[in-house]
Amino acid sequence: MKLNKKLLMLVALLLIIVLLPIFITVPYIISIFITTFLTISCSLAWNILGGMTGQISLGHAAFMALGAYITTMLLNYFNISPWLSIIIVFFIVGSLGAVILSPCFVLHGAYFSLVTIAFGEAFRNLFLNWELAGKGQGLLLTYGKPSFALMRFGSKAPYFYISLVMMAGYYLVIKRIDHSKLGYGLKTIREDEDTAKAVGINPLKYKMIATFISSGMIAVCGVFYACYVRYVNPDIMMTSKSVEYVLPAIIGGLGSVAGPLIGGAILVPLSEYLNASLSSIANGFNLVVYSAIIIAVIVLQPSGITGWYRHSKLKTRINTYFSKGKTNNAK
Amino acid sequence: MNTIGQAIVNGIMIGGIYAMVGMSLNLIFGVMKIVNFCQGEILMISMYMSYVLNEKVGLDPFLSIPLVAIMMFCVGALLQMFLITRSMREEDDSNVLFLTCCLSIFFANLALLIFKSDYRTAKSVFENKVVHLGTMNISSPKLLSFVILMVVTALIFLMLKYTTLGKQIRAASQNPRGAEVTGIKAKSIYAITYGLGAAIAGIAGSCLMSFYYVFPTVGNIYGTRSFIVVTLGGLGSVLGAFFGGIVLGLLETLGAVVVGSSFKDALVFFIFILILIGKAEFNQKKQRG
Repeated sequence: MKLNKKLLMLVALLLIIVLLPIFITVPYIISIFITTFLTISCSLAWNILGGMTGQISLGHAAFMALGAYITTMLLNYFNISPWLSIIIVFFIVGSLGAVILSPCFVLHGAYFSLVTIAFGEAFRNLFLNWELAGKGQGLLLTYGKPSFALMRFGSKAPYFYISLVMMAGYYLVIKRIDHSKLGYGLKTIREDEDTAKAVGINPLKYKMIATFISSGMIAVCGVFYACYVRYVNPDIMMTSKSVEYVLPAIIGGLGSVAGPLIGGAILVPLSEYLNASLSSIANGFNLVVYSAIIIAVIVLQPSGITGWYRHSKLKTRINTYFSKGKTNNAK
Repeated sequence: MNTIGQAIVNGIMIGGIYAMVGMSLNLIFGVMKIVNFCQGEILMISMYMSYVLNEKVGLDPFLSIPLVAIMMFCVGALLQMFLITRSMREEDDSNVLFLTCCLSIFFANLALLIFKSDYRTAKSVFENKVVHLGTMNISSPKLLSFVILMVVTALIFLMLKYTTLGKQIRAASQNPRGAEVTGIKAKSIYAITYGLGAAIAGIAGSCLMSFYYVFPTVGNIYGTRSFIVVTLGGLGSVLGAFFGGIVLGLLETLGAVVVGSSFKDALVFFIFILILIGKAEFNQKKQRG
């Protein structure tokens, strides 16, 4: 009966989340949920390349921003619906990511991170000076009446559901990848590339596939971002933005599928809370406290929350709770 | 011809500062093999130190160099002892990477909290004084900074080569475990190395303060550039960082003349990527054949 009990709790949790916008009418709280879902989606996408494959990219914000820019430009200049640009963006940015990062896979560890930072900064500098992309001011999405086809809504509730579906979809996709041939191949590459080669895995091919999926998925997050915020500028390509998507995965546990989910669910509300309560006192105060908390977690608990959970008493307690029904049933 | 000559001179001068920040990073990078993403912020802290000394005590940025260097040594050594050593692991360096990333956010916002986001400058005696070299003009703070850079490079080079401490640092960098066997305490060497790196950044920050302004995110500009310098010059090489810095400075100013100043940053990053990948490919080929 183990599965049923767990499934029941999951369904209940999901139902509560789905019904939330009906009970909570404060737009601010809904917007926190949307930001949380979006950040978790980005972090999940990053985790395919960063966590699963072990290629720590610090330029993923550029891929997200590319998705947002492409969506905005397609809508503003050609009147193409964002729903359509989801597919366009996924393939274009995914292929772009795989192509431009493929020569970088000869680099290992920190050097790979450096090259991704350089790519992110190079893209940001290009967009800062590109006339069609609005230069430093960025681009506004055209305003108008709410319309489903243009992903333009009057209230926050539809955005809430779209981001929720996106996050759940990403989670399921990555869960699937985690236990597939691709996932095992990627994890082998992370642990030891020579071994991977010896068992017949082509590291370059696998890394390119991982980059394609990862950058394509984070670019789709960019589509949602553009439609939700309705304003894109080169600031969203900053390296610090990339770090924002990396942090949930680190705090939650690098490489585990649930890591970004748990990390994001803790970090984003925490950052919003600190922002609301401290930034009015002095500029920057909230981020000082926020980064100090993260530093403490990294120093004291390097394997993240899922790593801690794996060795904690809480796990045994939960497991015994769930296995009670199972053992009774077996009798 | 004159613009190009002036660009070359300016490039060498600004390259001097890049070289100094790069050298500070290279010492840390080369010895401990850790990626230190908060080196730009270390520079920012030292700039603010120099600024405060100038504002409250009236000390010239150039005269504050020894004081700032000593204070930065303490900051660096403490940082290494209490935070970075604890998250260093032999098999995986990603934790240090994230730690220093978060430290850079922490420091930048601490500066924002204390000093606000205003651009601040320090007053120097050498300000507005220009040295004429043929048809080229060089502002004297930049020239003096360049002289200081050469002195620092020479000192660090000699220190690493001939002193006991220098030999210990090199030993710990080549083989930490082997060094431990011979009685060198690798952890204290690490703390000293980080302190030295921070002190060099302190010297660079004080020099920079004499002709540049400071703001909380100034570290971003110099942090990424210092990585370029390190990659250009080679890991762990002091002289490499010296020439790497000057090459980067030249690339920037000459790039500005060729492609226009708005695209020069993008150009620098693309060249950096090409060099990084080219070097890696070259090393791989060398390993194979």
